[in-house]
Amino acid sequence: MEAENTIKILMVDDEEKFLQAVSERLSIKGFDVKTATNGDDAIAAAKKGGYDVAIVDLQMPGTDGTQVLKVLKENHRYIEIIMLTGHATVDAAVECTRLGAFKFLEKPYDFDRLVEALKDAYQARIEKKFESNRKRMEMIQQLSIHQSPLGLLREMAQLDDARK
Amino acid sequence: MKHTNTTFGYDALAHFGRVNASISHELKNVMAIISETAGLLGDLSDMASSGTPVAPDMLSDCTKSIVEEIQRGFAVIRQMNRFSHSIDHPVESVNLMDVLDLSINLSTYLSFAGTTTIAESDGQPPVVATCPFLLQAIIYQTLVYTFKHTGNNADVTVGVNASDEEKGWKIVFSGFSLNGFQVFPDPLLQTMAESIGVTIKCDSTADWLELIVPSAIDESALLDGGNIG
Repeated sequence: MEAENTIKILMVDDEEKFLQAVSERLSIKGFDVKTATNGDDAIAAAKKGGYDVAIVDLQMPGTDGTQVLKVLKENHRYIEIIMLTGHATVDAAVECTRLGAFKFLEKPYDFDRLVEALKDAYQARIEKKFESNRKRMEMIQQLSIHQSPLGLLREMAQLDDARK
Repeated sequence: MKHTNTTFGYDALAHFGRVNASISHELKNVMAIISETAGLLGDLSDMASSGTPVAPDMLSDCTKSIVEEIQRGFAVIRQMNRFSHSIDHPVESVNLMDVLDLSINLSTYLSFAGTTTIAESDGQPPVVATCPFLLQAIIYQTLVYTFKHTGNNADVTVGVNASDEEKGWKIVFSGFSLNGFQVFPDPLLQTMAESIGVTIKCDSTADWLELIVPSAIDESALLDGGNIG
Protein backbone atom coordinates (compact mmCIF):
# COMPACT_ATOMS: atom_id res chain seq x y z
CA MET A 1 0.00 0.00 0.00
CA GLU A 2 1.36 3.44 -0.94
CA ALA A 3 2.12 5.91 1.82
CA GLU A 4 -0.16 8.95 1.70
CA ASN A 5 2.76 11.27 1.28
CA THR A 6 4.40 9.37 -1.63
CA ILE A 7 5.12 11.95 -4.29
CA LYS A 8 3.39 11.03 -7.54
CA ILE A 9 5.37 11.88 -10.64
CA LEU A 10 4.43 11.89 -14.31
CA MET A 11 7.54 11.83 -16.52
CA VAL A 12 7.50 12.35 -20.27
CA ASP A 13 10.48 11.99 -22.61
CA ASP A 14 10.80 10.55 -26.12
CA GLU A 15 14.12 8.87 -25.21
CA GLU A 16 12.76 5.62 -23.76
CA LYS A 17 16.01 4.38 -22.27
CA PHE A 18 16.52 7.68 -20.46
CA LEU A 19 12.93 7.60 -19.24
CA GLN A 20 13.32 4.03 -17.98
CA ALA A 21 16.61 4.68 -16.16
CA VAL A 22 15.41 7.85 -14.45
CA SER A 23 12.03 6.41 -13.46
CA GLU A 24 13.73 3.33 -11.96
CA ARG A 25 16.09 5.53 -9.95
CA LEU A 26 13.24 7.71 -8.74
CA SER A 27 11.23 4.62 -7.75
CA ILE A 28 14.18 3.38 -5.69
CA LYS A 29 14.14 6.77 -3.96
CA GLY A 30 10.49 6.23 -3.05
CA PHE A 31 8.69 8.26 -5.71
CA ASP A 32 5.65 6.83 -7.49
CA VAL A 33 6.49 7.31 -11.16
CA LYS A 34 4.37 6.89 -14.27
CA THR A 35 5.87 7.51 -17.69
CA ALA A 36 4.87 8.61 -21.17
CA THR A 37 6.96 8.70 -24.34
CA ASN A 38 5.15 11.55 -26.08
CA GLY A 39 3.26 14.72 -25.26
CA ASP A 40 -0.20 13.46 -26.21
CA ASP A 41 0.08 10.40 -23.93
CA ALA A 42 1.32 12.62 -21.10
CA ILE A 43 -1.65 14.97 -21.44
CA ALA A 44 -4.04 11.97 -21.49
CA ALA A 45 -2.35 10.42 -18.43
CA ALA A 46 -2.52 13.69 -16.50
CA LYS A 47 -6.30 13.84 -17.14
CA LYS A 48 -6.65 10.70 -15.03
CA GLY A 49 -5.29 12.93 -12.32
CA GLY A 50 -3.44 12.40 -9.10
CA TYR A 51 0.01 13.69 -10.08
CA ASP A 52 1.92 16.03 -7.82
CA VAL A 53 4.78 16.88 -10.16
CA ALA A 54 5.47 16.35 -13.86
CA ILE A 55 8.93 16.07 -15.43
CA VAL A 56 8.71 17.13 -19.06
CA ASP A 57 11.31 16.97 -21.81
CA LEU A 58 11.29 20.20 -23.78
CA GLN A 59 12.14 18.89 -27.25
CA MET A 60 9.92 16.05 -28.40
CA PRO A 61 8.50 15.23 -31.81
CA GLY A 62 4.81 16.05 -32.24
CA THR A 63 3.33 17.74 -29.14
CA ASP A 64 6.44 19.23 -27.60
CA GLY A 65 7.30 20.04 -23.99
CA THR A 66 6.11 23.65 -24.18
CA GLN A 67 2.66 22.53 -25.33
CA VAL A 68 2.50 19.85 -22.60
CA LEU A 69 3.48 22.48 -20.00
CA LYS A 70 0.79 24.84 -21.22
CA VAL A 71 -1.99 22.21 -21.22
CA LEU A 72 -1.04 20.77 -17.82
CA LYS A 73 -0.90 24.19 -16.18
CA GLU A 74 -4.24 25.17 -17.73
CA ASN A 75 -6.05 22.00 -16.65
CA HIS A 76 -4.41 20.99 -13.37
CA ARG A 77 -4.29 23.83 -10.91
CA TYR A 78 -1.78 22.54 -8.43
CA ILE A 79 0.57 20.41 -10.53
CA GLU A 80 4.18 21.62 -10.57
CA ILE A 81 6.31 21.02 -13.64
CA ILE A 82 10.05 20.55 -14.04
CA MET A 83 11.33 21.01 -17.59
CA LEU A 84 14.30 19.06 -18.91
CA THR A 85 16.27 20.01 -21.98
CA GLY A 86 19.44 19.00 -23.79
CA HIS A 87 19.97 22.58 -24.92
CA ALA A 88 19.04 25.30 -22.47
CA THR A 89 18.65 28.79 -23.89
CA VAL A 90 17.63 31.95 -22.05
CA ASP A 91 14.61 32.31 -24.38
CA ALA A 92 13.43 28.77 -23.65
CA ALA A 93 13.89 29.23 -19.89
CA VAL A 94 12.02 32.55 -19.93
CA GLU A 95 9.17 31.11 -21.99
CA CYS A 96 8.80 28.05 -19.75
CA THR A 97 8.87 30.20 -16.62
CA ARG A 98 6.24 32.46 -18.13
CA LEU A 99 4.06 29.40 -18.78
CA GLY A 100 4.43 28.34 -15.16
CA ALA A 101 7.31 25.84 -15.04
CA PHE A 102 8.69 25.34 -11.54
CA LYS A 103 12.25 24.62 -12.63
CA PHE A 104 14.35 24.21 -15.76
CA LEU A 105 17.16 21.63 -15.80
CA GLU A 106 19.70 21.01 -18.55
CA LYS A 107 20.72 17.45 -19.42
CA PRO A 108 22.88 15.82 -18.31
CA TYR A 109 22.15 17.02 -14.78
CA ASP A 110 23.10 15.77 -11.36
CA PHE A 111 20.46 13.24 -10.26
CA ASP A 112 20.46 14.54 -6.68
CA ARG A 113 19.54 17.98 -8.08
CA LEU A 114 16.51 16.44 -9.75
CA VAL A 115 15.47 14.75 -6.49
CA GLU A 116 15.81 18.04 -4.59
CA ALA A 117 13.85 19.86 -7.29
CA LEU A 118 11.05 17.27 -7.05
CA LYS A 119 10.83 17.65 -3.28
CA ASP A 120 10.84 21.46 -3.60
CA ALA A 121 8.15 21.28 -6.29
CA TYR A 122 6.01 19.03 -4.09
CA GLN A 123 6.44 21.42 -1.17
CA ALA A 124 5.39 24.33 -3.39
CA ARG A 125 2.32 22.37 -4.47
CA ILE A 126 1.32 21.62 -0.86
CA GLU A 127 1.73 25.27 0.14
CA LYS A 128 -0.29 26.45 -2.84
CA LYS A 129 -3.12 24.02 -2.04
CA PHE A 130 -3.03 24.95 1.65
CA GLU A 131 -3.17 28.64 0.81
CA SER A 132 -6.03 28.04 -1.58
CA ASN A 133 -7.92 26.01 1.04
CA ARG A 134 -7.25 28.64 3.70
CA LYS A 135 -8.71 31.34 1.45
CA ARG A 136 -11.67 29.10 0.70
CA MET A 137 -12.29 28.61 4.42
CA GLU A 138 -12.12 32.36 4.98
CA MET A 139 -14.60 32.97 2.21
CA ILE A 140 -16.94 30.33 3.60
CA GLN A 141 -16.74 31.91 7.03
CA GLN A 142 -17.51 35.32 5.53
CA LEU A 143 -20.40 33.95 3.54
CA SER A 144 -21.86 31.99 6.47
CA ILE A 145 -22.23 35.23 8.46
CA HIS A 146 -24.43 36.85 5.84
CA GLN A 147 -26.14 33.95 4.06
CA SER A 148 -28.92 31.55 4.85
CA PRO A 149 -27.85 27.86 4.78
CA LEU A 150 -29.31 27.51 1.24
CA GLY A 151 -27.65 30.72 0.11
CA LEU A 152 -24.36 29.50 1.58
CA LEU A 153 -24.62 26.21 -0.35
CA ARG A 154 -25.32 28.14 -3.55
CA GLU A 155 -22.31 30.39 -3.02
CA MET A 156 -20.06 27.41 -2.25
CA ALA A 157 -21.21 25.66 -5.44
CA GLN A 158 -20.34 28.76 -7.46
CA LEU A 159 -16.98 28.89 -5.70
CA ASP A 160 -16.29 25.25 -6.65
CA ASP A 161 -17.22 25.94 -10.27
CA ALA A 162 -14.82 28.89 -10.32
CA ARG A 163 -12.01 26.69 -8.90
CA LYS A 164 -12.28 24.10 -11.71
CA MET B 1 28.12 30.22 -61.29
CA LYS B 2 28.52 32.45 -58.24
CA HIS B 3 31.70 32.45 -56.19
CA THR B 4 31.19 30.23 -53.19
CA ASN B 5 33.25 32.04 -50.60
CA THR B 6 31.79 35.50 -51.06
CA THR B 7 28.24 34.29 -51.63
CA PHE B 8 27.99 31.71 -48.88
CA GLY B 9 30.60 32.73 -46.31
CA TYR B 10 28.16 33.34 -43.47
CA ASP B 11 25.37 31.06 -44.72
CA ALA B 12 27.71 28.09 -45.08
CA LEU B 13 28.96 28.74 -41.55
CA ALA B 14 25.35 28.98 -40.35
CA HIS B 15 24.56 25.59 -41.90
CA PHE B 16 27.70 24.15 -40.32
CA GLY B 17 26.62 25.57 -36.95
CA ARG B 18 23.03 24.30 -37.18
CA VAL B 19 24.06 20.77 -38.09
CA ASN B 20 26.70 20.68 -35.35
CA ALA B 21 24.12 21.91 -32.86
CA SER B 22 21.83 19.00 -33.75
CA ILE B 23 24.76 16.58 -33.48
CA SER B 24 25.70 17.91 -30.05
CA HIS B 25 22.08 17.62 -28.91
CA GLU B 26 22.06 13.99 -30.02
CA LEU B 27 25.33 13.29 -28.21
CA LYS B 28 23.94 14.94 -25.07
CA ASN B 29 21.00 12.53 -25.16
CA VAL B 30 23.41 9.61 -25.47
CA MET B 31 25.48 10.87 -22.52
CA ALA B 32 22.35 11.47 -20.44
CA ILE B 33 21.22 7.87 -20.96
CA ILE B 34 24.68 6.52 -20.08
CA SER B 35 24.85 8.79 -17.03
CA GLU B 36 21.43 7.78 -15.69
CA THR B 37 21.93 4.09 -16.41
CA ALA B 38 25.33 4.15 -14.69
CA GLY B 39 23.64 5.90 -11.78
CA LEU B 40 20.98 3.20 -11.69
CA LEU B 41 23.70 0.53 -11.61
CA GLY B 42 25.18 2.37 -8.65
CA ASP B 43 21.82 2.46 -6.88
CA LEU B 44 21.27 -1.26 -7.50
CA SER B 45 24.77 -1.97 -6.21
CA ASP B 46 23.98 -0.01 -3.01
CA MET B 47 20.77 -1.99 -2.64
CA ALA B 48 22.63 -5.28 -3.02
CA SER B 49 25.25 -4.16 -0.48
CA SER B 50 22.53 -3.40 2.04
CA GLY B 51 21.04 -6.86 1.58
CA THR B 52 18.12 -6.01 -0.73
CA PRO B 53 17.84 -8.64 -3.46
CA VAL B 54 18.43 -7.33 -6.96
CA ALA B 55 17.20 -9.24 -10.02
CA PRO B 56 20.20 -10.16 -12.22
CA ASP B 57 18.36 -9.19 -15.41
CA MET B 58 18.10 -5.61 -14.11
CA LEU B 59 21.90 -5.49 -14.04
CA SER B 60 22.28 -7.06 -17.48
CA ASP B 61 19.62 -4.70 -18.94
CA CYS B 62 21.59 -1.72 -17.59
CA THR B 63 24.92 -2.88 -19.00
CA LYS B 64 23.32 -3.74 -22.33
CA SER B 65 21.77 -0.27 -22.49
CA ILE B 66 25.12 1.39 -21.76
CA VAL B 67 26.87 -0.65 -24.47
CA GLU B 68 24.15 0.19 -27.00
CA GLU B 69 24.35 3.89 -26.22
CA ILE B 70 28.13 3.90 -26.52
CA GLN B 71 27.76 2.35 -29.99
CA ARG B 72 25.11 4.95 -30.82
CA GLY B 73 27.52 7.67 -29.66
CA PHE B 74 30.28 6.30 -31.91
CA ALA B 75 27.85 6.25 -34.86
CA VAL B 76 26.96 9.92 -34.25
CA ILE B 77 30.64 10.86 -34.03
CA ARG B 78 31.30 9.03 -37.32
CA GLN B 79 28.64 11.18 -39.02
CA MET B 80 30.09 14.30 -37.41
CA ASN B 81 33.50 13.36 -38.78
CA ARG B 82 32.08 12.74 -42.29
CA PHE B 83 30.30 16.09 -42.14
CA SER B 84 33.41 17.92 -40.97
CA HIS B 85 35.47 16.44 -43.80
CA SER B 86 32.84 17.28 -46.46
CA ILE B 87 34.44 20.74 -46.60
CA ASP B 88 38.01 19.44 -47.22
CA HIS B 89 37.92 19.97 -50.99
CA PRO B 90 35.85 22.58 -52.83
CA VAL B 91 35.30 20.15 -55.73
CA GLU B 92 35.85 16.41 -55.76
CA SER B 93 34.41 13.22 -57.23
CA VAL B 94 31.79 11.78 -54.96
CA ASN B 95 29.26 9.00 -55.13
CA LEU B 96 25.81 10.58 -54.80
CA MET B 97 24.69 7.63 -52.65
CA ASP B 98 27.37 8.53 -50.07
CA VAL B 99 26.32 12.19 -50.03
CA LEU B 100 22.66 11.14 -49.66
CA ASP B 101 23.57 8.75 -46.85
CA LEU B 102 25.37 11.51 -44.93
CA SER B 103 22.61 14.10 -45.45
CA ILE B 104 19.91 11.65 -44.38
CA ASN B 105 21.87 10.51 -41.30
CA LEU B 106 22.39 14.13 -40.25
CA SER B 107 18.69 14.89 -40.71
CA THR B 108 17.71 12.09 -38.29
CA TYR B 109 19.07 14.17 -35.39
CA LEU B 110 16.30 16.73 -35.83
CA SER B 111 13.41 16.36 -33.36
CA PHE B 112 10.87 16.86 -36.15
CA ALA B 113 12.49 14.36 -38.57
CA GLY B 114 10.44 11.68 -40.24
CA THR B 115 11.84 8.50 -41.75
CA THR B 116 13.90 8.57 -44.95
CA THR B 117 14.80 5.51 -47.02
CA ILE B 118 17.32 5.44 -49.85
CA ALA B 119 16.05 3.45 -52.83
CA GLU B 120 18.55 0.98 -54.29
CA SER B 121 20.43 2.31 -57.26
CA ASP B 122 20.82 0.07 -60.35
CA GLY B 123 23.47 0.37 -63.00
CA GLN B 124 26.66 2.35 -62.78
CA PRO B 125 27.54 4.21 -59.56
CA PRO B 126 26.23 7.81 -59.67
CA VAL B 127 29.58 9.62 -59.42
CA VAL B 128 29.75 13.38 -59.93
CA ALA B 129 32.43 16.04 -59.55
CA THR B 130 30.87 18.65 -57.32
CA CYS B 131 31.20 20.59 -54.07
CA PRO B 132 30.31 17.89 -51.52
CA PHE B 133 29.58 20.38 -48.73
CA LEU B 134 27.12 22.45 -50.75
CA LEU B 135 25.43 19.39 -52.27
CA GLN B 136 24.83 17.77 -48.87
CA ALA B 137 23.62 21.14 -47.55
CA ILE B 138 21.08 21.34 -50.40
CA ILE B 139 19.85 17.78 -49.80
CA TYR B 140 19.74 18.37 -46.02
CA GLN B 141 17.74 21.61 -46.40
CA THR B 142 15.33 19.85 -48.77
CA LEU B 143 14.73 17.18 -46.13
CA VAL B 144 14.35 19.81 -43.38
CA TYR B 145 11.74 21.64 -45.46
CA THR B 146 9.93 18.37 -46.20
CA PHE B 147 9.80 17.33 -42.53
CA LYS B 148 8.65 20.76 -41.40
CA HIS B 149 5.68 20.51 -43.73
CA THR B 150 4.84 16.83 -43.51
CA GLY B 151 5.58 16.25 -39.81
CA ASN B 152 7.54 13.53 -38.07
CA ASN B 153 5.24 10.80 -39.42
CA ALA B 154 6.64 11.46 -42.90
CA ASP B 155 8.05 8.44 -44.73
CA VAL B 156 10.26 9.82 -47.48
CA THR B 157 11.99 7.79 -50.17
CA VAL B 158 15.01 9.18 -51.97
CA GLY B 159 16.38 7.62 -55.11
CA VAL B 160 19.03 8.41 -57.72
CA ASN B 161 18.37 7.96 -61.45
CA ALA B 162 20.24 8.98 -64.55
CA SER B 163 18.96 12.34 -65.77
CA ASP B 164 16.99 12.16 -69.04
CA GLU B 165 17.38 15.77 -70.12
CA GLU B 166 20.85 16.73 -68.99
CA LYS B 167 24.16 15.00 -68.46
CA GLY B 168 24.10 14.04 -64.81
CA TRP B 169 21.83 12.50 -62.23
CA LYS B 170 18.42 13.08 -60.68
CA ILE B 171 17.85 12.82 -56.94
CA VAL B 172 14.15 12.06 -56.60
CA PHE B 173 12.18 12.64 -53.38
CA SER B 174 8.86 10.81 -53.07
CA GLY B 175 6.33 9.42 -50.59
CA PHE B 176 4.83 12.69 -49.38
CA SER B 177 2.52 15.44 -50.53
CA LEU B 178 3.93 18.74 -51.70
CA ASN B 179 0.64 20.38 -50.84
CA GLY B 180 1.66 23.14 -48.46
CA PHE B 181 5.11 23.66 -49.99
CA GLN B 182 4.58 27.35 -50.43
CA VAL B 183 7.98 28.84 -51.01
CA PHE B 184 10.31 26.12 -52.17
CA PRO B 185 13.12 26.48 -52.85
CA ASP B 186 13.71 29.67 -50.87
CA PRO B 187 16.07 32.25 -52.45
CA LEU B 188 19.14 31.10 -50.47
CA LEU B 189 18.63 27.45 -51.36
CA GLN B 190 18.04 28.43 -54.98
CA THR B 191 21.28 30.44 -55.10
CA MET B 192 23.18 27.63 -53.39
CA ALA B 193 21.88 25.14 -55.95
CA GLU B 194 22.72 27.42 -58.89
CA SER B 195 26.28 27.84 -57.61
CA ILE B 196 27.00 24.15 -58.26
CA GLY B 197 24.73 23.78 -61.27
CA VAL B 198 21.98 21.90 -59.41
CA THR B 199 18.43 22.39 -60.67
CA ILE B 200 15.58 22.05 -58.20
CA LYS B 201 12.33 21.01 -59.82
CA CYS B 202 9.07 20.39 -58.03
CA ASP B 203 5.42 20.08 -58.92
CA SER B 204 2.98 20.43 -56.03
CA THR B 205 0.03 19.12 -58.07
CA ALA B 206 1.82 15.99 -59.25
CA ASP B 207 3.72 15.60 -55.95
CA TRP B 208 7.26 15.24 -57.23
CA LEU B 209 10.49 16.89 -56.23
CA GLU B 210 13.86 16.41 -57.95
CA LEU B 211 17.37 17.73 -57.68
CA ILE B 212 19.20 17.48 -61.01
CA VAL B 213 22.94 17.27 -60.38
CA PRO B 214 25.41 17.83 -63.24
CA SER B 215 28.11 15.20 -63.71
CA ALA B 216 30.87 17.81 -63.31
CA ILE B 217 31.31 21.46 -62.38
CA ASP B 218 34.07 23.96 -63.04
CA GLU B 219 36.20 24.31 -59.88
CA SER B 220 37.69 27.66 -60.86
CA ALA B 221 34.23 29.18 -61.32
CA LEU B 222 33.35 28.10 -57.80
CA LEU B 223 36.23 29.83 -56.02
CA ASP B 224 37.38 33.43 -55.69
CA GLY B 225 40.16 33.74 -58.22
CA GLY B 226 41.06 30.11 -57.71
CA ASN B 227 42.04 30.63 -54.05
CA ILE B 228 40.22 29.09 -51.11
CA GLY B 229 39.43 31.42 -48.19
